[in-house]
Amino acid sequence: MKRFLKHIPVKLWAILCIAVLFTFFSNDFGLVDIQKTALVLAAGIDRTEDEFALTAQIAVPKGSDRTTGGTSSVEIEGRGATVSDCLADLYAKTGWVPKLVFCDLLVLGETAVQRDVFDCLDYFLRNEYIPDSCLLATCEGSAGELLSSASAIDDTSALALEKLFSDAAQKSGWVMTTTLREFAIGYFGESRSGYMPYVRAQAQEGSQEQGGQSGGQGDAQPSQQEQKIYSAQETAVFSGGRQVALLTPEETFAFSLLEGNIYAGTFTAAGKTYVVLRDSGSVDVSTADAPAISLGVTCKVQLYGESETVPPEELAKGALSPEEERFLSDLLASHVRSLWDTCAGAECDLLFFRRSLWRASPAAYGKWKDLPLASVTVRISARAEGLK
Amino acid sequence: MKLSSRQILFFLAAAAPIGKIVLMPARLARACANDLLFPVLAQLLVQAAIIFCVLLLARREQTLYALIRDAAGGVAAKIAAILFSAFLLFAAFLPVVEQKLLVRSIFYDTIPVYLVFTPFFIFSAYLCARPLCTVGRMWDILTPLAAVALAGIALLSVGSADYGALAPAGAAGWEGFASGTQAACSWFFDAVLLLALIGRFPYTKGLAWKGAVCYLAGGAVLLFLLATFYGVFSEIAVAQTHAFARMSGFFSGMTVLGRIDYLFIFAAAFVMTFYVILPMQAAVGTLSEAFGKSRALPALLSAGINLAMLAAVYLTNFHTSQIIEMLTGTLFWLYPVFAAGVPLLLTLIFGRRTHETVS
Repeated sequence: MKRFLKHIPVKLWAILCIAVLFTFFSNDFGLVDIQKTALVLAAGIDRTEDEFALTAQIAVPKGSDRTTGGTSSVEIEGRGATVSDCLADLYAKTGWVPKLVFCDLLVLGETAVQRDVFDCLDYFLRNEYIPDSCLLATCEGSAGELLSSASAIDDTSALALEKLFSDAAQKSGWVMTTTLREFAIGYFGESRSGYMPYVRAQAQEGSQEQGGQSGGQGDAQPSQQEQKIYSAQETAVFSGGRQVALLTPEETFAFSLLEGNIYAGTFTAAGKTYVVLRDSGSVDVSTADAPAISLGVTCKVQLYGESETVPPEELAKGALSPEEERFLSDLLASHVRSLWDTCAGAECDLLFFRRSLWRASPAAYGKWKDLPLASVTVRISARAEGLK
Repeated sequence: MKLSSRQILFFLAAAAPIGKIVLMPARLARACANDLLFPVLAQLLVQAAIIFCVLLLARREQTLYALIRDAAGGVAAKIAAILFSAFLLFAAFLPVVEQKLLVRSIFYDTIPVYLVFTPFFIFSAYLCARPLCTVGRMWDILTPLAAVALAGIALLSVGSADYGALAPAGAAGWEGFASGTQAACSWFFDAVLLLALIGRFPYTKGLAWKGAVCYLAGGAVLLFLLATFYGVFSEIAVAQTHAFARMSGFFSGMTVLGRIDYLFIFAAAFVMTFYVILPMQAAVGTLSEAFGKSRALPALLSAGINLAMLAAVYLTNFHTSQIIEMLTGTLFWLYPVFAAGVPLLLTLIFGRRTHETVS
């Protein structure tokens, strides 16, 4: 008994520690009442003259249908003067409490990006329960319609869209992804610029979905909805929160090269396909006399495919001739030039010229910050090297 | 039972930085943007010097109360104990509020009920009723946990950080530095916590400089975390009120592995719980020593203090920003007075050993 009493404080302490662990860190034991909670997978935002429309793609249990895998969803639209108001409207309409902690994708419709997008993104940055790592994208037409469309590759359009923004897709060089955090840093920084992938939906020819999952129809009401495939090879660029230009796929590829993102991405020129095995991009700003920006791309490239038959001994090599190296270098340089011209013409500081000025010297920033980008001297160097 | 000098060093190196990574980074980013490291560096150097002095004071191997009682009598010592404890309780308020905000915002994915934080005070009441010497065993256990937590958070965050965001150095100017230093005062009172522990551990050779070095080592980790924090969030750092719990969420492997950073965040929050309770425990310890006739006194004091703290935390629930503004703005001067002035004064008076004389 004495021995027991002697050890009581230690045991009590241990019990209290466990109690604190449970009460603090249990997250209510992770219980989510699915009947009362809407797990929002993605949100699409459109804008009219005086209000926002938020379409939430909500994950729902699949019921007894065991024939397919994946996630089912319904899309519900809420309207209001602010994004928060839209969510309240959504709650009022459905009785579901919208839970945005799993929201990994925000899609902004054409109407939302014509004005400052932070009018609506502000809510997501402000809310502590929404991850700042959620992906941003803009789209052709309405974001609500995009999320409500039937994907040919997944039951849930948001999951199909997220596949476009995977690490592998980013390494291909044809998609530039951004998160809420990165976009906000660009927006609030000296450059006040940013970008988002631009999504287009195309009808999958000859396909009609049977037993549609979307639009709240459920499994009981089969619908005839055209299946869509999505692409995001273009990039919308923003200045002051508004979309000011759209980068072509080639310009998007050049942007990826400058960011040094590409690994095993391919591109085609003059009937041949090349794979980028190593990519190193640089953006340097100098302020010696007048401000100048140097854009550099160096990459290791291998021949990957041809539109003509070649002898077997050529197949194994994949090497480039000096002429090909020159040709590819010029081609990449022209893409980079086109990227700069598009951004400078739209006064979008996508490559953070002004931020670099600020970081280099506040005095130089003060002197040159209002200089139009089109007046900045640009030096472009691109070098594509074959395997030796 | 006594604390060991090892445990004191553990506290200075591992626990002290943990208490400064919730609200302080965003508050500093607001005060001095990319120059947030300089005010912290200044505070660390000052605190390290004062910790050196406090540890020199520990050579007397007498508690603070005993030192004052022997020099100025029982009444003066009791008044000093009350003032000292009052400051400790005042200083404890901000960490408690930080812990509450952290628990409510990070460990729940929708706003939880008010009362979710109440068990903290039950736990705190138990710990506060224990003798101050028991903190030693805590630091033995918590130090590896703190080291793993900080290392994990730093490792997961480094890849997302753009350290170039810290440039240009000095852009905030002297005004920004002064404003940042003022705001940081509310988180740098570690020397006072140490002052409450003197006389409860034996002074070993070189402990004073070892303590200062350990504190600076922990401070270096803190500076690195702050740099990483600003690198991750740069212009939006001011809006990231739960700095350390947010910065590791962008690790690219998260999409495959899930939020593994929560393991480290939980560990850091657990260590923080003990750090947050320490000022209250020190206050109870000091008052119990000064007025300790009854064995039930520590338990009664602990219950009273925790009830008062609970009431204060919940009553100010809707004025949290205002309270933080007040503590880090209007009342900031109280911290250096107690965290620097009092220890320096005590060192001047009692710093020499009894056999040392002024020639």
